[in-house]
Formats: sequence, C-alpha cells, structure tokens
Amino acid sequence: MAHELRQPAEVQLAEELAELKKTDDKPRPPSWAMSPWAVATYLMGGPLPNGFIVSPKYIGPRRLMEIAISTLATDRALLLFGVPGAAKSRVSEHLSAAISGDSTRIVQGTAGTAEESIRYGWNYARLLAEGPSWNAIVPSPVMRSMQEGRLVRVEELTRIPSDVQDSLITILSEKALPVPELNAEVRAVRGLNVIATANNRDRGVNELSSALKRRFNTVVLPVPDTLDEEVDIVRRRVTDLGRALEIPAKEPALAEVRRLVTLFRELRNGVTEDGKTKLKQPTGSLSTAEAISVVNSGLALAAFFGDGKMTAADVAASVQGAVVKDPVQDGVAWREYLEIVVKERDGWRDLYRACRQLAD
Amino acid sequence: MAVHVFGIRHHGPGSARSLAKALAELQPDCVLVEGPVEASGETHWVAHEQMRPPVALLVYRPDSPLRSVFYPFAAFSPEWVALTYAAQTRVPARFMDLPLVKWLALPPEATEAEPGEDPMKELARVAGCTDFERWWERLVEDRGDAAVFPAIHEAMGALREHGGRALSREEELREAAMRQEIRGAVKEGHERIAVACGAWHAPVLIDMPAAKHDAALLKGLDKVKVQVTWTPWSHGRLMRASGYGAGIESPGWYEHLWSTPHDMSIRWVSKVVQLLRAQDLDASSAQVIDTVRLAETLATLRSRRMVGLDEINESARTVLLFGDDAPLRLIDNKLIVGETLGEVPPESSAVPVQKDFEATLKRLRLKLELNDKLLDLDLRKDGDRERSHLIHRLTLLSIEWGTQMDGRGKLGTFYEIWTLRWEPEFAVELVGAAQWGNTIKAAAGERVRHAAASATTLQHLTALLEPVLKANLPAVAPGVLDRLSQIAALAPDVGHLLDTLPPLANIIRYGDVRQTDRDTVRRVAVELIARACAGVPVACGSVNDDAARETVNRIAAAHSAIALLDDEPHRALWLETLRRIADLPGVHGLAGGRCARLLLDAGALTIDEASARASQSLSPGVDPLAGAAWIEGFLEGSGTVLRVNEALWALVDEWVRGLTAGNFQNMLPLLRRTFSTFAKPERRQLGERVKSGGGATPSMQTPAAIDAAFAARALPLLTKILGLDQ
Repeated sequence: MAHELRQPAEVQLAEELAELKKTDDKPRPPSWAMSPWAVATYLMGGPLPNGFIVSPKYIGPRRLMEIAISTLATDRALLLFGVPGAAKSRVSEHLSAAISGDSTRIVQGTAGTAEESIRYGWNYARLLAEGPSWNAIVPSPVMRSMQEGRLVRVEELTRIPSDVQDSLITILSEKALPVPELNAEVRAVRGLNVIATANNRDRGVNELSSALKRRFNTVVLPVPDTLDEEVDIVRRRVTDLGRALEIPAKEPALAEVRRLVTLFRELRNGVTEDGKTKLKQPTGSLSTAEAISVVNSGLALAAFFGDGKMTAADVAASVQGAVVKDPVQDGVAWREYLEIVVKERDGWRDLYRACRQLAD
Repeated sequence: MAVHVFGIRHHGPGSARSLAKALAELQPDCVLVEGPVEASGETHWVAHEQMRPPVALLVYRPDSPLRSVFYPFAAFSPEWVALTYAAQTRVPARFMDLPLVKWLALPPEATEAEPGEDPMKELARVAGCTDFERWWERLVEDRGDAAVFPAIHEAMGALREHGGRALSREEELREAAMRQEIRGAVKEGHERIAVACGAWHAPVLIDMPAAKHDAALLKGLDKVKVQVTWTPWSHGRLMRASGYGAGIESPGWYEHLWSTPHDMSIRWVSKVVQLLRAQDLDASSAQVIDTVRLAETLATLRSRRMVGLDEINESARTVLLFGDDAPLRLIDNKLIVGETLGEVPPESSAVPVQKDFEATLKRLRLKLELNDKLLDLDLRKDGDRERSHLIHRLTLLSIEWGTQMDGRGKLGTFYEIWTLRWEPEFAVELVGAAQWGNTIKAAAGERVRHAAASATTLQHLTALLEPVLKANLPAVAPGVLDRLSQIAALAPDVGHLLDTLPPLANIIRYGDVRQTDRDTVRRVAVELIARACAGVPVACGSVNDDAARETVNRIAAAHSAIALLDDEPHRALWLETLRRIADLPGVHGLAGGRCARLLLDAGALTIDEASARASQSLSPGVDPLAGAAWIEGFLEGSGTVLRVNEALWALVDEWVRGLTAGNFQNMLPLLRRTFSTFAKPERRQLGERVKSGGGATPSMQTPAAIDAAFAARALPLLTKILGLDQ
C-alpha cells in the first residue's frame, strides 16, 4: 500500500482514529464509529486525556464543525458551501472517515453524472442472461451506503444535472430507494447520511430545487479570517504534502509562506492588508488551496532545479499562473498590483524582479 | 440571620428566576434593592396596572435637569422581580444605593470609572472562556435555581480578594451607603431582609465592617436637591451599544426567556419563522422542527444545559436560511433586540412639563411610537394645526420627534407631512425642558427667547424665525425680530443679510401671524433691504467664481423675496441697486449678467438696453472669460425661457447674427459653456428653432383675435383665485 499516491484519511490517520475511539466514553448515535464529541476533537485537533495529540484537520471556527456534526447526528443531510479551496472536500472526507470509518463512498458530480451513479445500474450481460434480478444490479455508492448504514459523499452537487439531483429526494426523505424492475425497494439502515459539497461560484450552474434544498442543512465554509490563520493552514498542508510526495526540499521559510499568503489575501479581498490601498480583484478565486499548490510547486522547483531553498524565482511562475486566469483583465490587475504594492514594499524587491521578468 | 444577600446580574433572566424562587422561599418582610435611595418613595408604582416595563427611574437635579441618572428596569431584571414581589406581598421595598443627592454632587473625576464588568471578565478568563457573557449564562443563568447564590458570592469574594483591581472612591462610597441602609433596616426590627444587588457587591454586604467606618466615609459629602420620576424605556435602550454601562446584547431574547417557561426554543423559532414569512421567505413547519432539533443537538454537543441564542441562530441560518446571513439581521432587529416600549402611569411622573405633554398628547390623540409613523396634517383644520404646533414646539426644545417630509404631490402651504419617531431619550430632554417652563408652550417660548438673546449671528436668528412662527409662539416673535434688526446693523457679511429676506417675505406673504406682528416683520424686512442695498454692490466686485456664484444665488433669492413684499419704494431701491451692480466697473461677469437679466425681466431695462449691454460685455476687447461668465449669468437656467420669450430670443439671435465669422469662432467655446448647462431636450428644441430659420415659434405666429366679451366672463373667477377681491 506504500505505493499509493494518496491514501484515504482513515488509512493515513488510522492511529489517531484508534486513539480517539479508545478514550471515547460518550454516547454514540446509531452506527457511528465514535461519539460526536470525539468527531469534533478529531476535526479541530487537541490533546486527548491520555496525552495523545490529535492534529487539526480543519482550521477555522469550531462552531461550524459543531453545526456540521450535529446536522449529521440529527440525520439531516449536510451541504457544505464555499468558494473553491475552502476545504469543503477535506471536511467532508474527514467527517466520513471519523463517523463511518470509510471516506471512499463517493459520487463525483459532473455535468455528465447519470442517474445510475446515484441509484443503480445494470450488468447487461447478466440482465440479458437472467432477466432482472438482484444479481444483475450494479449498486451505486449511495445504494451501498444505504445497505450498510454509512455516510456517502456527493462532491460538487450543483454540477449534477437537476433531474439527476432530484433522485436524492426520495433517499433523503423516505430513506428508501425503490427498484421498480424487481417490484422491491432498498431501505436504508440507520446511519445513512449524505454529505454534499457545492461551490459558491457555481451556484448558477444547476441550482438545487427547493424540495432538495429543504432536505439539506447548509453550512458555509468561509475563507480564513486572519492572515495568521491562513499562513498556518498553508504551512501545515505544504509540510504534509511534501512528506507524502517525498520532495527533497527543506521546509519553506515561514516568511516566504507569509509573503505569498499576504499576496493571495490582498488580491482576493481587493485591498491591502493595512487597508490603505484599493486593488483590482482578479477573476480567479485565489483560495487557500491555490496558495498551497503554489508553495508546493515552488518547493519542487527549488528541490530539483535549485539549491533546495525556495526563492522568489521559484514561486513567481506559479503565482502568476494562479492570479492571471483571464489574460486581459487579470493581466491588468496583476501588473497594477506588482507596480503599486510589490515594488514598494520592504523586502519584496526580489519577488518584484522575478515576477516582472515573467510579466514582460 | 436577618439579612439575606442575593448577588444578581443586572438584567439577567436566569438571575431573575433564581431570585424569584429564593424570595418565595424566604418570604422576606423587607426588600432592599440596588438603586437610588431617593427613589424609595416611588417603589409602590411598580404594581400599578398601567405600569409596563421596560421603564426607568430618572433622577435629576431640578436646577440642571440634564445632569441626570437613569435606572432602567425590564420585566426580566432581577431588581424588578424583587420590587414586584414586595409590592404584591405588601412588604416594604426600598432602594439602598448611594443617595444621588451626594452622587450628583461628586466631582466628575470620582464618577468616571465604569464599575462592574472587568473583574468578571478576568474570572471567565481564568475559567478558560473568552466570552464572559456566554460563560456566565452557561454557569449561572441557565440554572435558574436558588442554590446558585452562595456559589456566586464565594466566586466574587475570591475575585475581590485576589483580582487585583482597586476599588474606585465612588464604588467605596456606594458600598458604604448600601451597608448603612441595611443596618437601618435591621435597626427597624425587620427579621427577614432580602437584599438584591449586583453580584460584585454581594461579598462586602455580607461581611460588614464596623458601622463607624462607613459613617466616616460618607461624612461631609455635598448635598444637592434631586427629583425622581418614572419614565418609559425601550429594549433598544437597554443595549450596551446604546451607551448604557450595564447594557445587554439581546433584550428581546431575554424577555422571551423570562416570559416563556416551557417550549422556549420551539416558540422562539416559530416567531422567527413568522417573521421570515412576513418577508416572503419560505419557511415550513417541517423546517421549524428541524431547526429546533439541530439547536438541541448543538446544545448537547456543547454541553449546555439549555439551548442558547447562539445555537438557535446558527440552526436557523443552517436550516431555514440556507447559510445566508442577511435575513438574520432582520431577526436581530425585530426579535433579538425587540421593539417593546414601556408605559408608566401618567400620575407617576412628577415633572409638570411632562404632565402637560401627556395631557396634550391625549387631547390631540397622538401616541408615542418607536417605529416611524407618517402623519399627514391639513393646517386648515384646528386639530391638525395644533398637532403641528406641538411638533414644532418640541423641535424648538431639541426633541426631534417629527421629521418634516416634502409635501409630495400635495402642493400648497396647507399641508405638512411628518414622520414621527419617539426615542426614549427624549424623555430626558423633556425633563430638561422643565427649566424653561411648566408647559410645552411656555418652555418652547422661553427657550427661544433665551436662544435669541444669546445669538450673535444672523444665521442663528433666521433659523429661529420660521419655527417660531410655525410653532405659534406670537409672544416671542417680536423679541426675535428686534434682536434680528440689532444684529443686522452690525452684520459684517451682506450675504447673510440677503439670506434673511426670503424667510421674512414668506412670513409676511403666507405666514399665519397677527396683523401687529406682520407690521413688525415688514418694518424689519424693509430695514434689511436698505442695509442690503448699501452693501451688495461691494460684494460683487473683485471676487472669485465660487463667491460670485454664491452671491448671485442670494441676489436672485432676495429678488423674488422683495417682489413678494409688494413695497414699491423699496422695490425701486432694489432695482436701482441691481443696475448699479450691472454698471459696476470690474464687476464679476456672473453678477453683471444676472443683474441685467433680472432688470430685463422686471421691465426696468428695455430690450435695446439689454442688447447693448450684451454686445458690450461680449465684445472682442473684453476678456473672454469675463464675457463667458456674463452670458452664463444672463442666460443661466433659462433654456426654455429663451425658446419662448420672443424678446430674449431676438436679442441673442441678433447678437449672434451680428458677429463676424472670426469673432463667432472666438465666441463659440464661451457660448457652449452656457448652453451646455441647459437640459438636453431644451437644447434640442433650441436647435430646431434655429434650424427652422430662427423665426418666431409657431404658437406665436398668428396672434388670434381676442373676443373681449368672452374673456370677460372668466375675469370674476380669476379675480377670486388670485385673491384680488379682498
């Protein structure tokens, strides 16, 4: 298993989950692997009574995680809303790993997602040979979770066409999935629930029908509140990823991460951190996730083509790539930012020179 | 033990509930509450059937009523609970805080420190909680049983001992005074004395030092006379944000907690849902169920005994509002703060002017409401006119109850449209008004007299004049006018002099004043015209563009005002002045042009004269900028007039035609500057007229023969409409 590029959360963090279960003495809802309190500790991190330290998975307001966990405990479905890169999928993965011990029951929503991926499909060879029977049915992740009483994740719910989305309604309200071909239905075992994620910016693509919307509790995940919080997130994730990808680079200097996060935040908010200068906002979302990937690729560049120490030149190209999504509009915003802010700021001179070379 | 101390949190519904239980158990024969001793005589009002909290005790110095102190009470305030208990069981209830007699006389630096809050925050921090309110609610308020008091006292005792905060002198004095009152009650022979005070003070009221110590502390404080009255209060004014030191964040929620012992969260969510539905936001009963369930689960997860406002708000946002924050703000205003306004029995307020106000309100059938309320007054009706007078008088007393709206759609001076909105702090102003008189009318009059006497500029006096007449205070009007003419004599700036003319003219023409007043106004106005005529020409020379524009606008306003006065000799004087300005060497173009135009319109300048002036001012020798200013002043804002006024059209037309090709080219930019100020349709019409050959407008081309007999039939009605028959 050591060759896997990325292991699911429950495998990666098996030790933490086991320790949590050991110390967990609070009541558990039916089919939950641990109590809601333990789930909250797993997500937010913190010390356990036996001295074991749980790492934080979500860095942000604790109350949001409490709402999410309570939602799942009241057996209403959970919808995580947020801009791209606001840790929606991450939260959903860790919630399922902690609550069901399995984060792999997943439906990836796309414009081409068909009803089969939410209900069931047919094994046509069997269907032709034996006629409709349970054996000929290919269950979807949703159907499987219903039978086993686990959590199922639906990623990018709003990208799924509306008619396919609506097949979730019966499952969420009746907790049953009719199979008319066999004149039968699959009834959900206690513990089934759905965690869906959707993107703020895609709201218009396939807006949820009000019937479906009503069955979800909506939790909006915000972009990090403060610079320090965001720097912390980026640093942690980069370190984690670097370890997983075995990049032979030193950990990036905190100052360098701080500088990049500042740059991302300023462009995202359209105003400098000191609140003095207004800026044009680029069209991209400039999320924390993008900042993480910029630092990562900078590290890789430094490791393989530099001296292993990340410099401004290593990040310049990917920063520009992250900011300039629309060559005309964003190009203007980026150049303006370079000239007005980066050039004038103390200690940012190298970054300015590196970016300037690329921009010309 | 004779004395039982209960440390409470001001305006904490849980504290109130605990206190109610404790009182029911103890059955005291005397109740002492933290509050001004002077108000002890007013406690019996609490049980009055017309008394509805939130209300406040207002303590003020009769000699300077604005130095006052408020003690607000809501239905859920523990102090209120104690007072009601005493009133219902007919047990004596008294206040015990430092007599304000002394407090209001303390030097300001002794009262500056804000007591109470900080040490508690320290306690919460020690307990590992950043938010004091939440910590206290979880620990104390949620319990609602009587057993909580000894624990509170112990905590506060420890905090006072080790908290490291020095007591301010004011606090020391207050606590000493409280102890003295308790000793007094013991001496009177009461056996079960209940003492309700802020938790912070509780420990030192239990372990009392020697009486001598307190007596020594309190000795020698200055005394002032104070008066006490009840006044209506509002939930909004209980908020900390309103500047009230012991304020709370969510009065509406507390009120709900207090008044709803069962199904508290279900009822609250139902209120929220009703509010959302009223705003056309969908919210089903199923969602109410889900919201309540989520809130309860959250409270369990957070190990809270009861569902709190945070849990409910978060659940509502998640379930009802799909993560949207905006509608929560609505809930915040309407529910969490609440719009409740208290009531007090009219007999309970002691200030004569307040009584007069209440009586007047009753007579005029007006109500005090916190929300904006539209009032449409027809001044021809007696009742409406009196209402208008009342609102204007209050405005003069700086109680801005009404805001006057533009009389949309309803033209004429008969109508006034007001938005009324009562703020509880107006009660303070009202008490403050007591120093001016005992009725609203007398107080307003006296206040104006005082303001007029101390006014030193014309603007102040002019600003006073109109309200005085609208508020129907004929007795003070002559005084204001006299003062006006005194000040006018010394006024250095002719501009302000001009500004006073329009209001005066309005009063004479439309005002509702007696004949004698009218004569006084006219006398003053005429005097002002003479002064203005002397000064204006100077103000028009050697000035920059902005100053010139300002002066020109004033001249125009004064010009219309003088026309209204209908006083031939002074009008002639004024026109003469205008001509002087127009002829003034070095006059600013704007002023010269506008004066020429005013003269032309008034018939004091013939069209030939005007035309001559125009070509002089615009001739090639003149500085082009001055020329541009002149034509701008001459034509400003009269695009339509230019189109339909034959004489004016001809004048401009001839002048343009007379220009040589070269001159025309030079003039063009200047003309453009003026014409670009006209509205687009006006310019288009002007252009069309030029294109059609520049002749007379079609409507003017064939003057129809007038049928004199037919026209005469309309004359009597016209006479009546114009009021010429009087």
